[in-house]
Amino acid sequence: MRKTKAAAALVTASALVLGSMSMGTAVFAEAGGSDLNIMLETPVESLDPQQATDGTSFEVIADYTDGLMQMDADGKAVEALAESYEISEDGLTYTFHLRDASWSNGDPVTANDFVYAWQRAVDPDIASEYAYMLSDIGQIVNAAEIISGEKDKSELGVTAVDDKTLEVKLNVPVSYFLSLMYFPTYYPVNQAFVEEVGDTFGTSPETVLSNGAFVLDTYEPAATAIHLTKNEDYWDAERVQLSGLNYQVIQDSQQALMSYQSGDLDTTLVNGEQVDQVKDDPEFQTIGAGYLWYVSPNMDGVPELANLNIRLAMSNAINRVSITEDVLKDGSIPTYTAVPLQFATGPDGSDYSADQTKYSDVCADDAEKAAEYWAAGLEELGISELTLDMVVDADDAPQKVAQVLKEQWETTLPGLTVNLVIEPKKNRVEDMQNGDFQLGLTRWGPDYADPMTYLGMWITGNSNNYGFWSNEEYDSIIAECTTGDLCTDAEGRWARLYDAEKIVMDEAVIYPLYTQANAEMLSSSVTGIEFHPVALNRVYKNAVKAE
Amino acid sequence: MKNYVLKRLVTSVFTLLAILLVLFVLMQLMPGSPFNDEKLNDSQREALYAKYGLDDPVVVQFGRYVGNMLHGDLGVSYKISKNTPISQMLETRLPVSLFIGGFAVSIGAVVGLILGLIAALKHDTILDSLATIISVIGVSVPSYVFALALSYSLGFKLQWFPMLYNLKDSFNSSVLPSISLSMFTMASIARFTRSEMLEVLGSDYMLLAESKGISGFSLIFRHALRNALIPIVTVLAPLVVDLMTGSLVVEKIFAIPGVGSLLVNAIQSNDYNVVISLSFIYSALYILIMLVVDILYGVIDPRIRLAKKGD
Repeated sequence: MRKTKAAAALVTASALVLGSMSMGTAVFAEAGGSDLNIMLETPVESLDPQQATDGTSFEVIADYTDGLMQMDADGKAVEALAESYEISEDGLTYTFHLRDASWSNGDPVTANDFVYAWQRAVDPDIASEYAYMLSDIGQIVNAAEIISGEKDKSELGVTAVDDKTLEVKLNVPVSYFLSLMYFPTYYPVNQAFVEEVGDTFGTSPETVLSNGAFVLDTYEPAATAIHLTKNEDYWDAERVQLSGLNYQVIQDSQQALMSYQSGDLDTTLVNGEQVDQVKDDPEFQTIGAGYLWYVSPNMDGVPELANLNIRLAMSNAINRVSITEDVLKDGSIPTYTAVPLQFATGPDGSDYSADQTKYSDVCADDAEKAAEYWAAGLEELGISELTLDMVVDADDAPQKVAQVLKEQWETTLPGLTVNLVIEPKKNRVEDMQNGDFQLGLTRWGPDYADPMTYLGMWITGNSNNYGFWSNEEYDSIIAECTTGDLCTDAEGRWARLYDAEKIVMDEAVIYPLYTQANAEMLSSSVTGIEFHPVALNRVYKNAVKAE
Repeated sequence: MKNYVLKRLVTSVFTLLAILLVLFVLMQLMPGSPFNDEKLNDSQREALYAKYGLDDPVVVQFGRYVGNMLHGDLGVSYKISKNTPISQMLETRLPVSLFIGGFAVSIGAVVGLILGLIAALKHDTILDSLATIISVIGVSVPSYVFALALSYSLGFKLQWFPMLYNLKDSFNSSVLPSISLSMFTMASIARFTRSEMLEVLGSDYMLLAESKGISGFSLIFRHALRNALIPIVTVLAPLVVDLMTGSLVVEKIFAIPGVGSLLVNAIQSNDYNVVISLSFIYSALYILIMLVVDILYGVIDPRIRLAKKGD
């Protein structure tokens, strides 16, 4: 009798296990053909184009959604849902004519889909983190007032003239406005659909609509696996060669590389330690990621750092080449300008920061000059020793870089001691924004393909001007280039931007370190993936995978 | 017994409420906020706080949370998967962790018992030493080392099992993570079984049972193992909760969409509702398992049942 009871308990326990087993099993249709298998480092945070803020989410949203414009292989804005457009002579009015395209529920894509989406982006109730893309960056009429609650969202300067015509009014001419149109915050959403699914919008394949190259068919919130299938009804379907996209989130880099080597992945990221192992492989490559890593000295809170010679000494004491070649090894480029390389192309078609020697008199890997500045600075301050703390993210790469910086500074600049304060990124950002730091190792990614995405940061009072630096001349140049006469004069504006950058460099407002690159493996059977440092990091519309 | 269970259930409810309050206070003490993107300005951050009611006093937030929870509403995620109801996230993730954990506990308990039994019955032989060595390795080597080793050998080299979790093949892809997770349980159970069995086997009543002519299978399983089980169940219970609630590192290595990785991501990004909901569920599970264990004691050992009746 007793034995049967015990046996019954065992049976119940195993039934529980079996029960949960069937719950854990989900059946998905096996996708055939040539799907591209892609590794993601982080899960998607949001599939709502107006609420997403991270690169992973943007990439996936753009796989199944088109905006007015799209990026070509060089990152230039070319027509997507807009068949054509006109810009008024004063540069303040953009009129887009939409092509015939439809959502995956059969509804046509109309001008109202854009009006509704853009109103969502600035709606204080939605509280989109990227609302500033429409106000500060896009300069759309009334966007700023709507965000601050002074005006109703219906007053936003965008109107649907008819189903196929969208008119946008700007406060001032914005030279890069067309390139904003491929940024996901500007993507359309179908009003009737969004209102129907309500709060569940973007949380499953059933609660999103596609108008793009692929259709989402496997997704759950914070999913580790995401699948999209080619959209046969896409307006440009002929161009799409892949049968689908198969994303796998892998947070362990060793597993990712093994999955690539066993053929489960067509492309994967490689971390600094793995680079040595794979760098001779022809499938290894490095891709510019646009991020500028730099050290921000707190000039307002630390009297010693208010001394220009001390700052110049620290900037020149850094051996950037050694950081990228000996530590990172992922293709990152040593950077001696306040605007990083390879993301902003000027009126003449050249990279804004191609010339890295522009400011070599104030920023170089020059230990000798650094020592001179240092001696001068110490004398001015009347001190012989200096101890500084540097806040650093508790992530792998920043910690390694910080260790090397500490060593380089302490070796080159006698009397300097640098203590590293390692903390989670969220705390580090908070400390820096509150001015509660001495030196900070930080980074900034470009939001749009114009140097202003960096230079705009150092105006007086900007929340990312961590050093609380303030310079009247600088502020006026930036104002001239954003809202002044120069808005319509591309060449003149470009030249003035260099003037602004020179002030930042002369004053050593930041110590630029390197432009980040990502080391990755890409299968030789895959061609045509377009990599971009801005907005959408990878675009697959033209990708081809050989069988 | 019924009264006892009822009393325990009522106490559990109050315990859980207290846990919830402590969690709320801890959340307030956590540095940072869910909205700490460098690109946010102060007014946007204020708007977000207002949107989610995070600018209200803690007491108000707590009251509202408990109220919502009674309706089955665990709130939405602020960061990991913006505006997604937590219940929807748990619906897909909890079963995955429960299954892998359950699988691991089953393997660990069964193999551990067998190892322990062999060690005890073949006391002081080569088999005993072998079982002891296995247990020492199991207890001292962390599960992620097993995970990496298994993934490299059975996954990458031999390709017997998938290296990464695959929803289409959830059983096969659960094998490697489950084995990695089961090692600690297996080793602990083996050690306890061995020492308890040795003690029981050396006791007077076993001598009596043997002299009464009871032999073989019945002697070991009915008389010896059953008495040895009480302490084993006691150590097994917390291990069950540990494993069922998902392992952070093993989930990360095998890319398992479970709740362990979710909790860590949530803590790192200050996703308050996710942290609170998961911690709360862990606590509830823990309390429930402990209750089940107490009831199991009665099933296994009549003396405990009788003592409870006397209360």
